[in-house]
Amino acid sequence: MRTVLRKLGFYLLTAWVAISLNFLIPRIMPGDPASHLINQFHGKLSPAAIQALRVLFGQPDASLWTQYLNYWHSIVTGDFGISYAYYPADVGTVLGQSMFWTLALITACTVIGFVIGTGLGILAGWKRGTWLDSLIPVTTFLSSIPYFWFAIIIVLVFAITLNWFPLSGGYSVDTTIGFSGDFIASALYYAVLPAATIVITSVGGWLISMRNMMVTTLSEDYVRLAEAKGLSRRRIMYKYAARNAMLPSLSGFAMSLGFVIGGSIVTEVVFNYPGLGTTLFKAAQAADYPLMSAIFLLITVMVLVANLLADVVYVFLDPRTRES
Amino acid sequence: MAIQPAVLAETEPAEPAAGRLWLRALRKPLTLTGVIITLVFVVLAVVGPWIAPYDPSAVSDAATAPPSFAHWLGTTQNGQDILSQMLYGAQASMLVGLGSAVITTILSVLVGVTAGYLGGTSDELLSLLANVFLVLPGLPLTIILAAYLPHSGSLGIILVISLTGWAWGARVLRAQTLSLRKRDFVEAARATGERTSKIILRDILPNQLAVIAAAFLGTVTAAILTQASLAFLGLTDVTQWSWGTILYWAQADSALLTGSWWWFVPAGLAIALIGTALSLVNFGIDEFINPRLRQAGVGTKKAQRAQVSRTRTKRVKRAASRRSGPRQPRPVGTPFTADSTDVILEVRNLKVNYGAVTAVDDVSFTLRRGEVLGIAGESGSGKSTLAYAITRLHKPPAEIPQGEIRYTNADGSIVDVLAMDDEQLRAFRWEELSIVFQSAMHALNPIMRVGEQIEDALVAHRPGSTAPERAARVVELLGIVGIPADRANSYPHELSGGMRQRAMIAVGLALDPEIIVMDEPTTALDVVIQRQIIDKIMELKDRLGFSVVFITHDLSLLIEMSDTIAVMYGGKIVELAAAEDFHQRPQHPYSRGLLESFPTLSGPKRELSGIPGSPPDLRRLPSGCAFRPRCPVAFDACAEHEPELYQIGSSQAACLLYSSDHAVKIGETA
Repeated sequence: MRTVLRKLGFYLLTAWVAISLNFLIPRIMPGDPASHLINQFHGKLSPAAIQALRVLFGQPDASLWTQYLNYWHSIVTGDFGISYAYYPADVGTVLGQSMFWTLALITACTVIGFVIGTGLGILAGWKRGTWLDSLIPVTTFLSSIPYFWFAIIIVLVFAITLNWFPLSGGYSVDTTIGFSGDFIASALYYAVLPAATIVITSVGGWLISMRNMMVTTLSEDYVRLAEAKGLSRRRIMYKYAARNAMLPSLSGFAMSLGFVIGGSIVTEVVFNYPGLGTTLFKAAQAADYPLMSAIFLLITVMVLVANLLADVVYVFLDPRTRES
Repeated sequence: MAIQPAVLAETEPAEPAAGRLWLRALRKPLTLTGVIITLVFVVLAVVGPWIAPYDPSAVSDAATAPPSFAHWLGTTQNGQDILSQMLYGAQASMLVGLGSAVITTILSVLVGVTAGYLGGTSDELLSLLANVFLVLPGLPLTIILAAYLPHSGSLGIILVISLTGWAWGARVLRAQTLSLRKRDFVEAARATGERTSKIILRDILPNQLAVIAAAFLGTVTAAILTQASLAFLGLTDVTQWSWGTILYWAQADSALLTGSWWWFVPAGLAIALIGTALSLVNFGIDEFINPRLRQAGVGTKKAQRAQVSRTRTKRVKRAASRRSGPRQPRPVGTPFTADSTDVILEVRNLKVNYGAVTAVDDVSFTLRRGEVLGIAGESGSGKSTLAYAITRLHKPPAEIPQGEIRYTNADGSIVDVLAMDDEQLRAFRWEELSIVFQSAMHALNPIMRVGEQIEDALVAHRPGSTAPERAARVVELLGIVGIPADRANSYPHELSGGMRQRAMIAVGLALDPEIIVMDEPTTALDVVIQRQIIDKIMELKDRLGFSVVFITHDLSLLIEMSDTIAVMYGGKIVELAAAEDFHQRPQHPYSRGLLESFPTLSGPKRELSGIPGSPPDLRRLPSGCAFRPRCPVAFDACAEHEPELYQIGSSQAACLLYSSDHAVKIGETA
C-alpha cells in the first residue's frame, strides 16, 4: 500500500512537471507564440477569450510568477482556451469528442499487444534454441517498422487492394454515435486495421524483453530447484519462471506505453481516426497551441493513470514490494 | 568445536579477456548481419549526394513512373527521382539519428554517472528528474516542441529529440555506476585519494562501455523513427529531403490512392532495416552484458537431449508400476555403521563433459542407507557438477557421455537414473532424492509463500492428497526443522537467513526422500547459525534415516559429520576413506596438504602449511596425475601414468605411491 502511495506521489509530481512544462514552453520559445496565435483569429475573438489565451500562452505585461498563478487558475477551472483549428469550439469540447476513441483503441491494443507479446515471449524463452528463436529477427523487424508506414501498407493491402476494410474514419457515416448495435459494430469494423497496426508493431517489443527475462530467470536457482522437485513442466514454466520474469516487464511498462502512444498518434493520422492523434496532428498543422498543450496534458494524465494501474498489479504480483 | 571458515581456495573460473568476447559477439551471424547493414547505411549516408543520379528536387515529365532503368525506384507525382531522394534522405535521417544519439548519450552519461557516483541528495534529485522524463509521453511532447519551432531543420529536431530522450540511458547508467562504485577497485582508487574525474574516466566509464553503446544504438533507432514521424506529420522543414519527408509528400500527394507503391515503400523499408540492424547489434551487446542469455534454458529440446547424450538400453530392471500404486514403505534401516552393506545409490564410472572439458572424470562411489558421504574439493574440482549430475540437473553444454547412477528402490529393484525417461525422472526426483542448495535466498521462489513451495512438491507427487492433509504436512515439516507453523504464510524475504535455510531443508524433507544432496548448505550463513543448521541436519538424519551427500570445501566440518569422505581434484576422486581414517591417516599427498593447511581440533599445535600452486585448469590438465605440479613427492612416473584408486588398508587413494611397481621404486630411492 505504501509503495502505491509513494508512486501516486511521484505521478502527481510528474503531472506538476508536465503542467509547468506546458506553461514554460510557449514562454521560452522564440517569437511571441501568444500574439501569433491571437493574430491567427483575425479579430474574431472576444476580449475575454483573448485574455484567456494570454493567460495560457504568455502575458508580456505580467511577472512570470503572476503568470504562473494565473495559468494554474485556468487549469484548475478547466479553461483551456478556444481551439483555432476547430473554431469556434473550445478545447474542452474538442477533447471530449476525441478522447474516448483513443482511450478505447489504445487500451484494447495495449492489453492485446501485451498479452500476445508476453505469451509468445514466455514460449520463446522457455523453448530457447528451437525454431522459435527465428521469431526474434522477424519481430525485431516488425517492431522497427515505423507505425505509420505499416499503417500505410495495411491500408494499401486491405482497404485499397482487397477492399475488405474501410479506408479511414472511425465509424460509418450512416450510423449515429450512440449505444446502438449498429454503431458499435461499425466502430469495431473501422477499428480493425488501426488496431492491427498498433498490435503487430508493438508485439515485438514485449516479446523480446519477455524472452530475455525468461532466459535470465530460467538459470535462477529457484527454477532449478523446482525442476529438482519433480514439478510438472507447466508449473515450472508459469509459476516459477514466467511469473518472476514478468515483473521487470511490468515495471518497464511506462516506457513501452510511451512508445505505443507515440505510435498510435501517428497511426490515427494515417487512418484519419477521430481520436486524439488526428486532433493533435490537425492542431500542430494549424499551430493551434491551446489544443496541442491540452492534448499533451490529457495524454500525460492517461499515461500516469495507466502506470499507476501497472504499479498496483505489480504490487499484487510481487510480495517483496508489500513490505511495511 | 568451531567450524572453520573456507579453507580451500574458492576462485572464479577465468573468463576470457573482454576484447575476445567482443570478437565472439561478432561471430554470431545475426550480430554480424546487423553490423554490416549498419555500415552500408552509414556509407550510403556519407556518399549519397555524390552518387545520386538526379537532383532530388528536380521535376521532370516522367510523373509517377514506376521503377524503370532510368529511375530505379520510380518517380514522384512531379517526376522527381525517388532513388535520389532516398540517397539524400539517408544523409538527413542518419544525421538526425547519430546527432541525437551523440547528444542524448552525453546527457545520459553526465546525469547517470553524476547521480550514481555522487549519491545522496544530488542522486535523488537527478534520479527523480530522469524518472519524470521517463514517464512523460515523449512523442506528444516532441510534437509540441517541434510545432513551436515550425519548419526547423535537422539541428532543431536533434535538440528536441535529445531533450526528451536522455532519461532512459541516464537511469541505466546510474544503476551501473552505483554498483561499480561499490566494487573493490573503485573503492581502492578512492581510498588512495585519486581525483574524482580520474576515477570516473579510468575506472568507471570503461566498464560501462557496453551499456553506453547499447543506449547509443537504441537512441539512433528511436531518433530516426521520431524524425520520420515528425517529418511525416509535416512538422519539419518539408523541403529538406529525409526518409520522413518522402513519406510526407507521398501521403500529401495521395500516392496511396494512385497506387504508386514505389513512392512510399523504399523509405519505410529503409527505416525498418536500419532499425532491425541496430537492434540485432544490440542483442549481441545484451548477450555480452548478460551472459545468462548465452546459456540454454531447461525447456529446450536440446537441453533435454543433452542431459544424457546417448540412448541407453534399459538393461537394469525397473520396478513395475511404481507410479500407480502408493509408495512402498521401506523396512526401517539399522543405524549406519562402517560395515553396512545396504547400498542405496551406486555411481559407476560417471563422466560429465562441458564441451571438450571433462569436469567429472570416471567417478565411482557407493552410498549406503543412513550414510553421510562428504565430498570435498576446491572450486572447479567438479564437486558441484557431480551433485547436479546425480540428479540430472546439469544444463547444456554439460553432458554425461558415460556412467551409471544405480538407485535401489524400496522393493530391492535397481534403476539407472540416467536411463529414465522424463516422466520416470520426474517421479524419481524429490520422492527418492532431494537437494538442498547453497543459498536459500536464491533457491526459494521469491514470490511464493514458503508453505506453498513445500506444498507444490506434495501436489506433484501425491495427486490423491487433499488440501487439509497437505496443510497438516506443511505444518509438520516446518515443526521438524523448528520453524513456527504461522511462518508457512511468509515469503522468503520475510525470513532470516538461518530460517530460510531451515525452510529449504523442510522443502527437501517434504516427501521423505531416501537421499538428500546438500551442496554447501551452510556456506552463506554465519558460524553460529551454521552450527544450528548442521546439528539439525544430523538430528534429522538419525531420526528419519535418510542418507546424505554433503558437499563442501570446509574440511573440518566434513570430518566432523561424515561417515565417509571423498576428496575430489581435477574432476576425479583422489581419496575415498572413512572419515576417521582420513583424519588420522590421509593417504593422498593432496589430502595431507589439505589437512596440514588448517589447525587440528584436538592434536598438538603445529605449523600450518598451505598447498603451493593453484587449482588445475580443467582445459589444460597436466599429463599423468593432475596434482603432480603441486605435489611435494611427485616423481618421474607421475607425468606418464594416470593413477587409479589403489587400496591402502581401508582407504583408497589415486596416487602412484601406492601402485605395486612404484612402491618398489620408492623403496629403492628412499
